[in-house]
Amino acid sequence: MLISRQDAAKGAYLLFILLVLIAPTLFDVFWLNRFSKFLVFGMLGIAMSLCWGYAGILNLGQGLFFGLGAYAIGMSLKLASATSLQQGSTTPIPDFMLSNAEPGAKPDLCCINSGSFLWMPFNSQYVGLATGIILPVIVAFIIGNIVFRKRISGVFVSIITLAIVLLTRMLVVQAQPFTNGFNGLTDLGYLSILGFDFDPYGLSSYYLIAISLIAVLAISRFITETRAGLILQASRDDDRRARFLGFDVASYQLFFFCMAAAISGYAGMLYVIASGFVSPTFMDLSFSISMVIWAAVGGRNSLLGACIGAILINLVQATVSETPQFVEAWTVVMGFAFIMAVLFLPRGIAGVCMEMAGRMLVPDTSPRKDAHISSAKLAKTGKAQ
Amino acid sequence: MQMNRRKFIVGSTVAVGGIAATALITKRTATKDTVQVGSIFSLTGGLSITEKTMADATRMAIAEINAKGGVLGKQIELILEDGASDPKTYNEKASKLVLQDKVQSVFACYTSASRKAVLPVFERRGSLLFYPTFYEGYECSKNVIYTGAVPNQQLSNYIPWLVKKQGKKKFFIVGSNYLFPREMAKVSKSLIEQNGAQWIADEYLELGYSQWASMVSKIKNSGCDAVISNVVGDSLIAFYKEFRNQGLTHDKVPICSTVTSEVEVAAMGPEYAAGSFTSFPYFQSIDTPRNRDFVQRYRAFVKDPQAVTHDPLHSSYFQVYLWKAAVEKARDFSADAIRAAIGGLSYDAPGGTVTINAENLHTAHTPRIAQWQADGSGKIVNQFPGPVQPLPYSAYGETEGNLYCTVSGLDTAKLPK
Amino acid sequence: MFDAVFIGLSVGSIMLLVALGLAITYGAMGVINMAHGEMVMLGAYTAVMAKIWLGLGSLASIPLAFIVSAGAGLLIERVIVARLYGRLLDTLLATWGVAILLQQAIRLSFGLAFFGITIQGLGTDLRTVQTPEFLHGVIAVGSYEFNAYRTFVIAFTVIVTVVTWWIMYKTSLGMRVRAIMRNPDMASACGIDVARVNALTFAYGSGLAGIAGVMIAGLESVFPDMGTPKVVEAFLVVVTGGVGSLGGTVLAAGILGQITGIASALTNDILARAIVFGIVILIIIWKPKGLFSYRGR
Repeated sequence: MLISRQDAAKGAYLLFILLVLIAPTLFDVFWLNRFSKFLVFGMLGIAMSLCWGYAGILNLGQGLFFGLGAYAIGMSLKLASATSLQQGSTTPIPDFMLSNAEPGAKPDLCCINSGSFLWMPFNSQYVGLATGIILPVIVAFIIGNIVFRKRISGVFVSIITLAIVLLTRMLVVQAQPFTNGFNGLTDLGYLSILGFDFDPYGLSSYYLIAISLIAVLAISRFITETRAGLILQASRDDDRRARFLGFDVASYQLFFFCMAAAISGYAGMLYVIASGFVSPTFMDLSFSISMVIWAAVGGRNSLLGACIGAILINLVQATVSETPQFVEAWTVVMGFAFIMAVLFLPRGIAGVCMEMAGRMLVPDTSPRKDAHISSAKLAKTGKAQ
Repeated sequence: MQMNRRKFIVGSTVAVGGIAATALITKRTATKDTVQVGSIFSLTGGLSITEKTMADATRMAIAEINAKGGVLGKQIELILEDGASDPKTYNEKASKLVLQDKVQSVFACYTSASRKAVLPVFERRGSLLFYPTFYEGYECSKNVIYTGAVPNQQLSNYIPWLVKKQGKKKFFIVGSNYLFPREMAKVSKSLIEQNGAQWIADEYLELGYSQWASMVSKIKNSGCDAVISNVVGDSLIAFYKEFRNQGLTHDKVPICSTVTSEVEVAAMGPEYAAGSFTSFPYFQSIDTPRNRDFVQRYRAFVKDPQAVTHDPLHSSYFQVYLWKAAVEKARDFSADAIRAAIGGLSYDAPGGTVTINAENLHTAHTPRIAQWQADGSGKIVNQFPGPVQPLPYSAYGETEGNLYCTVSGLDTAKLPK
Repeated sequence: MFDAVFIGLSVGSIMLLVALGLAITYGAMGVINMAHGEMVMLGAYTAVMAKIWLGLGSLASIPLAFIVSAGAGLLIERVIVARLYGRLLDTLLATWGVAILLQQAIRLSFGLAFFGITIQGLGTDLRTVQTPEFLHGVIAVGSYEFNAYRTFVIAFTVIVTVVTWWIMYKTSLGMRVRAIMRNPDMASACGIDVARVNALTFAYGSGLAGIAGVMIAGLESVFPDMGTPKVVEAFLVVVTGGVGSLGGTVLAAGILGQITGIASALTNDILARAIVFGIVILIIIWKPKGLFSYRGR
């Protein structure tokens, strides 16, 4: 039976969505919570694929946006925790602030130490949620604006993102009175929306994460299929040529960089909801590099590939890590797989799957909307749009 | 390339599948004659050098108990997980042990960061964490049995001894940049002032960072006559080396640590630590038959005649016996029963008698101070006559007569406003 | 204040020793070798093992470390890097994978740990290397005291840099390397065996890292993960200094070292590191190709 490539891709997406939705019937409470964390990593894989596979920007510091989102919602949930009301004041104060208080300061968020007033808006969880997405986007916008407008490309972008995530991690650990430093934010309350509480081990949290993942997957897929997505891929392959064709490459790169940041920030928030704590280790270099590895092995050019790659790698890692001898062996396997993927399989496992299935698929012959950039239009307006 | 790719895919799938399958097959379940307990220590990563020994001590205690017939007639089965020196992993493993394997008692954690990361799991699910490491206090959880020292057991003897017996007047405080060293610094400062001496600096270096040149230079130029070191991890080795390399000597300006143990002294080479001090309840060189026997048994257990024992290892060891005693008293393995029974229980540990304080679930230890010798051993130069009650809130004014952390929980009204 | 300057020199010299090898491989071959930190680590472990198994002091193990790291570098170049020419980001990633493998190799004693065999000197434990006796303590010059070992490291770095410069600019091999740096295709057309020269260059750069590892082992502890912070730092130095410019690398190491030293003295070490990172970011943004760079690559 011959199926078209488009239909096969759609089939793969639908199968994945179905599996994600029925997962609660396959897993017990503990494993379901674990699986929900893997789904969050899947979101990070999608963000990585968008940024790297489609836009050609190797962001070695994706953990920065993940961490910013995590801390944003973490601050709100910390204030919502029961212990925050046990610190000797009527308004919530995080417990660690008491041990970092300025001597003689009033035990209130406004003045207990020099940065604590910044916590005050986070009493509302909606502020936390909004900040978790907006803050990473703003940071990405600032970085991207400087970097892409100056036409910095390739490895230098990666170095800058690497340096920025290391710097931010250092500053977060240093700002002990504000962020509780290395210990991170623990003992968090539940996320509560419209009176409904999200218990990390409850079904509601799982479905929140699952549906978020599906939504992100769908939206990302949709955007990459649009004209903007194609232009982005063109600029990934050769940015000078894309510029000569009249496209404002920097704007496209900026847009997708910010979109990946937004997805990562959102993923950070979901991770906090699933795990119940925030740690500066979210911004570790090794964690950011892991995201690159997931996307490389899964298939950086395929959103679903990177997503599934992230989920599978972490699934096997979790299973294997329960047997001590295999932990070390697994790291070796991953390192090896990564090198193989980079050397021989630039399209990752997704690419291999598509190739192996290639014989069963016919090329898609239906004309794609919007894909054709009319040269007449280009000549008339001087721009592609 | 086609054939290569296909082979690679098949080969790696088989490898991955094989590993995963074997891991799944070796999943254990409790039987009628066994009871399962959990343990989480970093077997990999930067902290594994210390935490692996704590895991070994836990295993040794369990092996000894099993050899003598187990607890309440049941053999103990240990589920040991790897925290990988990462609080995120600790949190995951704790969830696994408590939620999936449904163990009631877990022996785990070294750094405060890992303890804070797993605490919510234990508090929400009602299981018990046995925490063997010295820490900064300021905690009163009913789901943790704290078998390590708290600041009043490490510093309350140390600072007065340094000021009065060693004549030190100007202290330079240095530590790693996180909660434990900062809290210890706070306690140190108040003790220093109470004893009529002066602290001239309170500096921090990032955890894991090993460039000490600038800091040691500051120490040299500060005119201090003693350094209180709360530096943790492998960066303390670089610290001691740099100290000596810049010409500072321990007889004039000793490093007085609350962290450096036999493990780090062995790793750095004893000549760098010789003459410096550390304050712990336990040292390998405690000269009692019981401790000498313990060290021999430990060395036999890990098959390393050069192995050293140290304070957190000692706590990891005796806390298992305390757990056993509580279970036998309560005739029950559940966390609630153990918590109710363990208060007031004592155990004759290799380093001396230890007793769990019924109010705050911390342990009464005998504070000791040791000076490191050229052969790597710690000669005990000061020892309290007996165990000292643990006061996790001593930095905030807690005294034995006025406990902040009691059976009914933390009395926040007593915390300073 | 003089102390701060000396410390800055010392920190800068260590940075330079590690970054020199990276600068050569990056400049000459356009290859970003994330396994460079592991070359440093291999050098350090060579010193550890040489002491345990051969009884060699740390200075005597320098040639051995050079050979071991150069050999490892050669292997990496032939097997992996050679397939990735032109794909800059991919070499970054592939060599990161190699770095992971090398770390595991040391942790697992090259796989023997699975069979229960431990090799003394390898494994996850912390190791140290003893510095030579005559370098213990301080050298007093007037009222200033200089740490003897650090002074030695500075002097050693200067010697190594001069030797490297001499090789690059005064020998025919160096001329070939520089030709490849300018234009590899043209160099090949002129009859230079590009593949062989590249392999030698990579090996030399890795060997330099090995030597750096021996020197660093005298100051810090040796453990499998020690390479990663080193390669990140070296990278920042090389990128700041400029592609293919040895002089740029030296200057960048000097500047960043001094900034670290002075900032540490004025504030604290953590802020000093943050300041260094911040400055590197600013320099890359202001001059994306680094302080000095060759056009035409």
